[in-house]
Amino acid sequence: MRSVIIGNGVAGINAAEAVRSLDSEAEITIIAGESFPPYCRPMISMALEGTVSHDALAIRPPSFYDKLRIRALIGERAESIDLAKRAVITGGGTVVPFDKLLIATGADPRAARGERADLKNIFPMRTETHVKGMLDALKEVKHALVLGGGLVGFKAAHGLLARGIPVTMLIRSGYPLSMQVDRPAGEMILKELQARGLEVHVGVEVERFEGNGAVSGALLSDGSHRECQLVVVGKGVYPAVSFLPPEIEVDLGIVVDERLQTRVDGVYAAGDVAESFDVARQTRWVNAIWPVAAEQGRVAGMNMAGRPVSYRGSLSRNVIRIFGLDVMTAGLVNPPDEREYEVVSRIDPARKTYRKIVFRGDIPVGMVLVNDIEQGGVIMNMIHSRAALMGPRDRLLDRSFNVKQLML
Amino acid sequence: MAMDEKRFAAQTITEDGQLLLAKAERDQVETVWERHKAQQPHCGFCEMGLSCRICVMGPCRIDPFGEGPQRGVCGADADIIVARNLGRMIAAGAASHSDHGRDLVEVLLEVGEGKASGYKISDPAKLRSVAAEYGVASDGKPDLEIARELAYAMQEDYGTRKRGVQLLARAPKKRRELWEKIGVTPRGIDRETSEMMHRTHMGVDNDWVSLLLHSARNALSDGWGGSLIASEVSDILFGTPKPAQTSANIGVLKEDEVNIIVHGHNPIVSETILRATQSPEMQNLAREKGAKGINIVGVCCTGNELLMRHGIPMAGNHLTTELTLVTGAVEMMVVDYQCIMPSLGDVASCYHTKMISTSDKAHFPGMEHREFTALNAAEMGAQVVREAVENYPLRNPDKVYIPGKPITFMGGFSVEAIVEALGGSPDPLLDAIKAGKIRGAAGIVGCNNPKIKQDLGHTVLARRLIENDILVVDTGCAAVANAKAGLKSAGALEMAGPGLKEVCGALGIPPVLHFGSCVDNVRILILASALANALNVDISDLPIAGSAPEWYSEKAVAIGVYFVASGVYTVLGPTPPVTGSLNMVKMLTEGLNDVVGATFAVEPDPEKAALLIRRHIEGKRKALGLPSLTV
Amino acid sequence: MKQVVVHPERCVGCMQCMPACAAAHSRSKTLFGAVMEKPLPRPRVHVGVGLYGEGFPNRCRHCDPAPCQMACLPGAIYHSPETGTVLINPDRCINCASCAMACPFGVIRYHQDYMAAPGKTVAVKCDNCVGRQADGLIPACVEACMARALTFEESDKALKRKTDEMARRVSLGAEDRAPVESPGFNLLNAFKRAQLAVEERTY
Repeated sequence: MRSVIIGNGVAGINAAEAVRSLDSEAEITIIAGESFPPYCRPMISMALEGTVSHDALAIRPPSFYDKLRIRALIGERAESIDLAKRAVITGGGTVVPFDKLLIATGADPRAARGERADLKNIFPMRTETHVKGMLDALKEVKHALVLGGGLVGFKAAHGLLARGIPVTMLIRSGYPLSMQVDRPAGEMILKELQARGLEVHVGVEVERFEGNGAVSGALLSDGSHRECQLVVVGKGVYPAVSFLPPEIEVDLGIVVDERLQTRVDGVYAAGDVAESFDVARQTRWVNAIWPVAAEQGRVAGMNMAGRPVSYRGSLSRNVIRIFGLDVMTAGLVNPPDEREYEVVSRIDPARKTYRKIVFRGDIPVGMVLVNDIEQGGVIMNMIHSRAALMGPRDRLLDRSFNVKQLML
Repeated sequence: MAMDEKRFAAQTITEDGQLLLAKAERDQVETVWERHKAQQPHCGFCEMGLSCRICVMGPCRIDPFGEGPQRGVCGADADIIVARNLGRMIAAGAASHSDHGRDLVEVLLEVGEGKASGYKISDPAKLRSVAAEYGVASDGKPDLEIARELAYAMQEDYGTRKRGVQLLARAPKKRRELWEKIGVTPRGIDRETSEMMHRTHMGVDNDWVSLLLHSARNALSDGWGGSLIASEVSDILFGTPKPAQTSANIGVLKEDEVNIIVHGHNPIVSETILRATQSPEMQNLAREKGAKGINIVGVCCTGNELLMRHGIPMAGNHLTTELTLVTGAVEMMVVDYQCIMPSLGDVASCYHTKMISTSDKAHFPGMEHREFTALNAAEMGAQVVREAVENYPLRNPDKVYIPGKPITFMGGFSVEAIVEALGGSPDPLLDAIKAGKIRGAAGIVGCNNPKIKQDLGHTVLARRLIENDILVVDTGCAAVANAKAGLKSAGALEMAGPGLKEVCGALGIPPVLHFGSCVDNVRILILASALANALNVDISDLPIAGSAPEWYSEKAVAIGVYFVASGVYTVLGPTPPVTGSLNMVKMLTEGLNDVVGATFAVEPDPEKAALLIRRHIEGKRKALGLPSLTV
Repeated sequence: MKQVVVHPERCVGCMQCMPACAAAHSRSKTLFGAVMEKPLPRPRVHVGVGLYGEGFPNRCRHCDPAPCQMACLPGAIYHSPETGTVLINPDRCINCASCAMACPFGVIRYHQDYMAAPGKTVAVKCDNCVGRQADGLIPACVEACMARALTFEESDKALKRKTDEMARRVSLGAEDRAPVESPGFNLLNAFKRAQLAVEERTY
């Protein structure tokens, strides 16, 4: 059985390992866009922060492909898929036939808008190469500019602030991580970062970048000007689907069923590129985060190897330590309709703890924890497995609860 | 937040408590409830009475599941370990009450010797009648001489010289004969406690029944000894309570006056403080400092003592003591001993409140110590009140929160007061009982416990009983709970059954009678004895019962045991640490009937407890040949 | 292969497994020594209170596959098949708390530990006392538990015991040996549940 996997991110790697563990004879080929050994993408912001060395980013050794007898086309990108011939054609002209195909191409960062966005030292933060570039430029940086308050922009700002570099952040909502947290938590986070030197502007964009070769400043849409020697662009990602034939349906991402199979038989998708069923939202969604990619890759690989396994659905979730705050979130944090959802929450601004859980009926569908996050996984798993809570709800708001209180 | 309000309603039924808990959270003050939660789960070995720390060959525990160790290192089995632990709880409880009594006797002595400052004989008639019980002749003698002699005689009760404490004579003859027969007549107050400590030493009393019998004796040395002396001497020194209007709950604190709270047990201190606040000099000083006056209120038993004799209002009971300080309106809390949480100093430090400890026996973190003695009491009281008044300007008005209005009610029911209300003899009450208008009487006593929603046990039980024409008398924290719930106020009769309503209405008394502090539980025994003697039966034949729906302390164990040993069926809310020995459980709940004519029952649900009590009362009625119901 | 088996109905909530666990994971390996150490050793088993005030020893289940292992960003969590243990390498751990987010049982904690680099906060959880096992000892929590709520046995054996208990309970004329229970403990728990039921009532 010829298994071809496009992408060597965690979805692709886990899929390859799953196939190999179930089928020792399968021919596995990985078309690997990035030349660096398989690495942990969420950790790149820690490399920027300096708490992790660049080499420590790798999650598999260079011998990984050989050990699992995977044919790896390093540095190559898929250019098109010929469904009739059931083959992938790479940019370098290589034709790779497949019986089973996994599209795990991930997502690409959106470019910055504004004039002269081509100046040096304006980076997205998606790959280890981006971070390497930032680290090289770091010694000249007295002030940084971050575009976007989502996970990428936020982590970049945090990493730079940890290095003692003042940061100006331009965000659309009133607080960062607006897709992950709610207002009370967002404001706690904002305060914490501001205390460390973060300057935030809401609703302001960059009109024009300035500089001689490398960026040295930016003119903003409110007329003000900022000096900056480094710009990080965190304006979101879009799935890497440009090379796909029309038979493979794409909506927010590649549409897949609970086996992670696309509309085309034998063709699967997993990771940031895939759109699957979101357990909390109860609708199709793309959750472009690491644990989702990891689990989807594994499930896709098992299905490719002939073991029919259902994917329980994706769930957005995130945990981050920001100076004096720890934040853990999952699922539907800002319920769209107050009538169908019930919120229980408890805030202690002096102790800097906040906990909010969103219920739909007896089932928790979303949570935000600020500090005291150690047992967050219990609630997260309840959300992911759609377990109804039979006991008193406010127990979940305690900083520590014994799982026996939830036993039904 | 809605979630939070519900959360506090889970801890207390009292509205002032819920509101103050919310403020405590805002002010970041830790309360007893949080500490209770943090202690969960409690160790099951200890809850069952199966852990023993008496010697250093241990500490030991017995596995209730039969697989781990079944005996301590010394060889004691579960029955012995449970019995020893229970015995020591009783010793501690009896010692507390009795030491309180001892201090009062010393004041009586100092008064008799003319040395006491600020104390006097307030009820000379009682002095004489109690003296007569001790064989101290009164005719021709001045009061002070009688007081001296009585004090000496009472001190003898504490020692090793006697065969029985004096006031046992008040118990019905049948009861005393029973005690003699089973060998539990208390000989000396300190002696029985001391012997308990001896018996429970490793390698002394290793028969659980023998230990239990001595426990009964130790408890009786409290109920008919230490506590009784405490109650009687308090009446002699400070006056026998008479019914009067008073009020309760946090609303008794005043925004425009100097607030002083007395906490603890012995009226030796609280009476002194009260008098000091009444001095014109202090009143003037208060006005100078911008206050309208000085407002003294009580919590717990010493508050009950002042309430019973002077109508001083009560700010709350055991679980409310921290919350009173959270109002931010308390200039000073003066404490002596027992039931005073060591956390109070911490709570006070969040506000301007001065905390004063007064007894060398009871020092606390965060409190300034002012040793009160019989000799310096008056000056010390004045000094302390002055400090409180001078603290008034330091009150931070932004932090003040006194929720709600006080509830007015009638308190002050000593046995003497009841007999007087009945027209001079207990006969009208007996007639009402015989006729069935009043089915019987129940004493609801005891503390609060964060394991139980504050005041829920007391008030539900009291309501169910009075609905069924059972007269309720209460003491301690229970008495405050029922007062706050309106069971002693003007509208209370409407909650009573028809018979009780009629009788109490005619007498002008509420259906629940506020009997006083925890040492005043003996007033219940006195009343029971009077009724038993009038009917020529034993206490165990009477249609009465006792209950401690929310108890926590070792004192409560002593009280429960002396009630049962005196023949009163007693229902407990919280489970005592005896389930490790089913032999002990069986004995306490069944076997004791054959030994002392009464037993314990454990029932966490006050509705069911009410049924147990009603069934018991009707059963006793039937046995007496009185008209009875089937419950 | 022997495993630690938890019998929750036996837990009396005494928490003795906790100091025993902490002491076993200290430098000095004694309780008295452990409380003096810096960093202060912490337990990896957490006794909490259940719904009825009963105790429950919450410890790592050493899942296979382990959600924490799959979530770990730097690959610090790994599985040791010889002892059936999921272990955390404190040198690879980056304290990102992804494992806490993944663990359905909430057994992971974050603190300094003498096995980690000095001053470094790392993820810590039960390690099945593999060190003690290598020395021929049983896990510390099992040794401490006097109520036998934690046992160290072949899981087959434990399951067979449970099966036999159930069989005895449901069948007539079975062996006379009554299931091992404690009437006293049941009585205590019955009172606690009754108390709780009263609390829930609204008046």
